[in-house]
Amino acid sequence: MPESTTAARLQPAPRRRWPRPGVTLTNTAMLLYALATLYPLIWLFQSAFKTNQNFFEKPFALPDTWVIENITRAWALSDMGRATLNSTIVTGSAIVLTVLLGALTAFVLSRFRFKGRTLLSGVFLLGMLIPIHSTLVPLFIMMNQAGILNTYWALILPYTSFELPLAIFIMAAYMSAIPKEIEEAAIIDGSGYWGIFVRMIFPLTLPAISTVAILAFLRYWNDFAFALVFINEPSLKTIPLSLAIFSDGFGTDYALTMAAMAISVVPTIVIFLIFQEQIMKGMVAGAVKG
Amino acid sequence: MITSMRSGRFVALALLPSLLLYCFFVIVPVFWSAYYGFFEWSGVGATKGIGLQNYAEALQDPVFWRALKNNLIIVAASIFGQVPIALVLAILLNKNSLFHRFVRSAVFMPMVLSTVVVGLIWGYIYHPQFGLVNFVLEAVGLDNWTRGWLSDPDVNMYAVAVPIIWNFIGPYLIMFVAAIQNIPSEIDDACLIDGAIGRKKLLLVTLPMIWNMIKVVIVLCIAGSLKAFDQVFVMTGGGPAQSTELLATYMYNNTFNIYRYGYGSAVSTLIVIISMLMIGVSQVLMRGKES
Repeated sequence: MPESTTAARLQPAPRRRWPRPGVTLTNTAMLLYALATLYPLIWLFQSAFKTNQNFFEKPFALPDTWVIENITRAWALSDMGRATLNSTIVTGSAIVLTVLLGALTAFVLSRFRFKGRTLLSGVFLLGMLIPIHSTLVPLFIMMNQAGILNTYWALILPYTSFELPLAIFIMAAYMSAIPKEIEEAAIIDGSGYWGIFVRMIFPLTLPAISTVAILAFLRYWNDFAFALVFINEPSLKTIPLSLAIFSDGFGTDYALTMAAMAISVVPTIVIFLIFQEQIMKGMVAGAVKG
Repeated sequence: MITSMRSGRFVALALLPSLLLYCFFVIVPVFWSAYYGFFEWSGVGATKGIGLQNYAEALQDPVFWRALKNNLIIVAASIFGQVPIALVLAILLNKNSLFHRFVRSAVFMPMVLSTVVVGLIWGYIYHPQFGLVNFVLEAVGLDNWTRGWLSDPDVNMYAVAVPIIWNFIGPYLIMFVAAIQNIPSEIDDACLIDGAIGRKKLLLVTLPMIWNMIKVVIVLCIAGSLKAFDQVFVMTGGGPAQSTELLATYMYNNTFNIYRYGYGSAVSTLIVIISMLMIGVSQVLMRGKES
């Protein structure tokens, strides 16, 4: 479109070509603030590639020599491979369970009218007020009696249960915006309710489901309190748990501890960089409802 | 909305699994812990009913009250640290330009880190021998300010509050930004006409317009600070000499370090009661101001 380009060129130059000094000053301050916020993380990554000597002497400097070996040693010595596998199994199963149960419940709560619907929504919302730590002791005793302590289930089931309120809330809000003619048409076509859920509502809700899955991933992958109390078996330890113990066991090998931590945060940072907007919106929604 | 009679069985069947799971793992434990609180039990062997003794003991233990006080320090640090910082940032960063979005993402980033990693990193930052804080103080000649930030009982509660503030500013910033962006553009025009610009506009227009959001954030700060556990547990474990004990670490240490399950259950129940009270009181206070 050559014409419009010319038109744009012909427009008078903006009166102020440079931002006012005040704006530049605040922007610089904001940039410094952002860097200060990110600094602990930057420091973690640069320290992960240092020798212990280098780490003590010049804590702020970039590594004198980049010791890639720290990473491989941390992976081998701290059993990070096993921990990553455990975290993946637990997180993955709990996400699937959360999405399936959450979507089904959200479907019923948002699109059916029945006695006790408001009460039920209230009960689910109430759960968000219960401080998680106050359930550690009773859950420990209950799961001990049920014989599921020190199994993957000891994490999968509590994770799912505590995430359900937020999952239901996010998905129900999304589902109630889907036009109800969809069900009417499906019922006329002879679909059952399960059919409507599986073939129509679930696929249509995928955007909300992905938000739920991402938030659940961050919560489960990073969880410490449940893993600390419910898992004692070394071969079942998740990443945060093995990191916490690792830092004791290798107390003086700081480079190694830093390297192990650096490995562990990479997946969450990648997920954050890809899904920033979704994560921020979802976490804010979670905070407001909780 | 589907209301036909046939749907009743589907509704029941579809709700059953999540309702069972949710009740068993979220609701029932609260009542069980109140019940277990009436017993003395070391995890193995017989339980012994001792009535209200556990509850009475907790309420008479000075460490329990110190833990509550420390929790309140975290609440205060959130309200007077997180809210002003998030508010100032939101006022300066409410455009959707690339730069503003970048800074907002950077501030949000700690939210996705594992709290264990946060605790460990800050443990190193505060380390008495090679920590960054002491290193900087020595470099600028303030040698006598250096100390064991996490071991000195005069400062360690404030030291552990800093990472918690750093960790959770993100969502509050996003909420304030959303509130500021929600102010209708007609109001901007009106301000321009009436000559309300700069600081005047901020104080007389922007802040009053987002006042409700500020109240919501303060209530969230109170609820969120009561959940603090991981970072403190990793950094200090509640020590030294229980000087950084929070209600949650106090509960954990009593239950799983010295195996007093009954006592730990009683403390858990007190945590639920205290949380509900604080959330209730804060909401009533905030609502009261509105009318």
